[in-house]
Amino acid sequence: MVAGGYFGRALVVDVGGSTATGTALELDDRVLRGYLGGVGLGTWLLHRLAPPGTDPLAPAAPLAFVFSPLVGTPLTTSAKFAVVARSPLTGLLTDALASSRFAIAGKLTGHDAIVVRGRADELSVVLVDADGVRLEPCPELAGLPAADAETALTARFGRGWNSAAIGPAGERGVRFATISHDGRHAGRGGLGAVLGAKNLKAVLVRAGTKAAVADAPAVLAAARDLRERSFGPATKKYRELGTLANLLAFNAVSTLPTRNFTAATFDGAHRLAAEELHELRGVARNSCASCSIGCEHIYSRKGGGSQRMEYENVFALGPMCGVSDPDDVFAASARCDELGIDTISAGGTIAWAMECAERGLLDAPWLRFGDGAALLRALDLIGSRSGVGELLAQGSRHAAGVVGGGSIDFAPQVKGLELPGYEPRTLQAMALGLAVNSRGADHNRSGAYEADLSGELDRLDGGDPHVAAAVATEDRAAVMDSMILCKFLRGVFTEPFDEWAALLRPVTGWDVDADELRATARRIVLAKRVFNLRAGATAADDTLPARMLRTPLQLASGRAATLTATTLQAMVDGYYRARGLDAAGRPDPAALPDLLLPDPHPADPQPADPA
Amino acid sequence: MGDGDGAAGLVLAGGRSSRMGTSKAALEWHGSTLLYRATALLARTVPGPVLVVASPDQELPDLPAGVEVVEDPVEGVGPMQGIATGLTALDGRAAAAFVCSTDMPFLHPAFVRRVLAGLAGPGTDVALPFARGFRQPLAAGYRTGLAPLITSLIAQGRSRPGMLYEHCTVARLEDADLLADPDVARLDPALDSVVNVNEPADYAEARRREPAPVQVQCFGALAGAGRRGPRTLHVATLGSAAAAVGLELDRHVVAALNGDRITRDPGLPLVAGDGVAFLSADAGG
Repeated sequence: MVAGGYFGRALVVDVGGSTATGTALELDDRVLRGYLGGVGLGTWLLHRLAPPGTDPLAPAAPLAFVFSPLVGTPLTTSAKFAVVARSPLTGLLTDALASSRFAIAGKLTGHDAIVVRGRADELSVVLVDADGVRLEPCPELAGLPAADAETALTARFGRGWNSAAIGPAGERGVRFATISHDGRHAGRGGLGAVLGAKNLKAVLVRAGTKAAVADAPAVLAAARDLRERSFGPATKKYRELGTLANLLAFNAVSTLPTRNFTAATFDGAHRLAAEELHELRGVARNSCASCSIGCEHIYSRKGGGSQRMEYENVFALGPMCGVSDPDDVFAASARCDELGIDTISAGGTIAWAMECAERGLLDAPWLRFGDGAALLRALDLIGSRSGVGELLAQGSRHAAGVVGGGSIDFAPQVKGLELPGYEPRTLQAMALGLAVNSRGADHNRSGAYEADLSGELDRLDGGDPHVAAAVATEDRAAVMDSMILCKFLRGVFTEPFDEWAALLRPVTGWDVDADELRATARRIVLAKRVFNLRAGATAADDTLPARMLRTPLQLASGRAATLTATTLQAMVDGYYRARGLDAAGRPDPAALPDLLLPDPHPADPQPADPA
Repeated sequence: MGDGDGAAGLVLAGGRSSRMGTSKAALEWHGSTLLYRATALLARTVPGPVLVVASPDQELPDLPAGVEVVEDPVEGVGPMQGIATGLTALDGRAAAAFVCSTDMPFLHPAFVRRVLAGLAGPGTDVALPFARGFRQPLAAGYRTGLAPLITSLIAQGRSRPGMLYEHCTVARLEDADLLADPDVARLDPALDSVVNVNEPADYAEARRREPAPVQVQCFGALAGAGRRGPRTLHVATLGSAAAAVGLELDRHVVAALNGDRITRDPGLPLVAGDGVAFLSADAGG
């Protein structure tokens, strides 16, 4: 009997020529309970379905849309799905979350995940519902932004269908292209390029069944309680100003990456601040599907139109590129949405290119820090993969390899993924989280900045407490991203693992408790690392750009924020010990059976010879 | 030694407080205590550990997290005994220490840093201010390596500070030397750092003083309800600053001191020139 909230199967869609076929992949209770859903189950599916050595953009590379036991329940923020694949930007596992009705409709096709493989002969869409799978050509959608494609697809197939679509950048293989639905992006790691490489503009899903939970009245009661708590002080920031509230605060504590991490404060920060924009611009609030927080803040643009603004896109397209004019940043954000590219990687790569141009390493004299028009021109070139955009569409790590001249030292990336808006030198628990995370430089799978900004440790003096904080926040993220709940809820939980277990019990019927979820978290984190090791990652990848480790930042207080390679390595070593890894970042072979992975792999560590 | 690099803090809390008539360590100071203020101020200033030297079985008020207490095994010998005990406890942990008594409510970090910088000269053992007309052995910097010498001198009955200074290299810091430091000149122009309170009248007068001006700004969702923009407040502690802007330092609020240290300690001492940023603890996005 399948646990509540699950169907016990994934649908594997094989696309080839002008057809698509679906095959059910049974998911037994051990796997579902061991990985929950979302990024956890997605990791297991990639282990199961990704042939070793497959190029991320090859037809055989699987792209998994993964749901969770909570999707479709009345629990607030639960309408989320994960997209998991091998990243064309990093070559490693990547997973991105998005919130929308696509999650609910996708799950109610009767599957816990939908995995797409293969390649269509012409630009097409895959449609999945309870009746099956089919492929429909859609050459007329070529070059359309994802939002326009969604509109066209709804007109063509009907309002019951929800589509996860790519923009022109995904079609053209930009390695940080996104997949989006209803304006929400599965943004990081280039998942849009993976879908584009299959010659698919979108995956459409339509609900056709129901998912039963184990104890519906108890789920409803839990949902009421969680909803009530979601209105409290822990989410006030997100409700009132949204994530953009970070910008001025981060500037005040020297952790706002500026001009490609050459500074941690930005003179023009006040112009981009939520506090300022709220007064000067019309602003509307919106929520994701099934969410009671309402973190989206949508600002009016000069000359008409509106734009949803978040901290990460403003940081990346503003201070990171030295741009302080809000209209330039709004326009750049809109352009990223239209093209379907990740704002963080776009801003980071362009900021790197601006520094290269100013140093004479890149023949693009028009590309200068602070020039909003140049920023927009660079985005267009990336979207069309023309001129310097062909180089920048590969991301900063690859581009630095081409440009040379030591530019890799200031390419703002870890494992190929561009850094989010958290300065590692002034947030040294986060520095570790960024260095070791399997996705690359990432703020959603490692929230160690919480510890840095809590006052419970010295954020400028990385050491053992920072290791413990990085491990703890990574564990919490692994569970939240798998069961799936929005991280903006994290502050409402005082005993998170206990409270999450209490949410899962009435949904699934399992007697799950906090200790089991802690073990689940460790399993998910380790399974991701094992995937990456199999894909060729080594301990040398668990680091930060040389700039961070060589150049201190001077703070207004008089202290210097210094993060040396020695300090970082000591923390990485501590992280390995805490995770039960050896000095090369590899797991103890005895830990592998607990990962419930489908097959042993030649790259797995082998038990020591007893002789 | 420059800017307090590697230095520790040492607060002498023993002594009879006979003129005050009550334990000076526990005297109230703007919602905190004199000892809390002295130790927390050193903790925010020096990079090394902060120690309190207490009399045997002395009852101490609450101390900031991380502050250590060492008991002075010998009572009634005077401050040199306390200095020797403290410096001995710091052996191997810090090269030097700023030493002060518990009853200096206007001690400023700029003064502490300037005194410790006085140890930078070659072979200098003690950086000794002569401020406001008096030698200040309990607002001075000492090399931790002096502990055996002080202990030896006390054993010989030579327990007055001047007797130590005869046997080591002392950097004498006059008012002019101290005020040549631009931070000291700007933030502690009257050298109030060395003011101590010995009698109830001293304490009452010090307590009546208006706290120094501090720049306070709230950010993000905390900046609602008329709290937007920087403001100047006369507050002695972080808790007072939070209360003045209508905030509670609960788990949803933190403060950044001078854009650097993040804390929610309501007893954190604030001094002239400080900037406090109140932030939502639910950082990130």
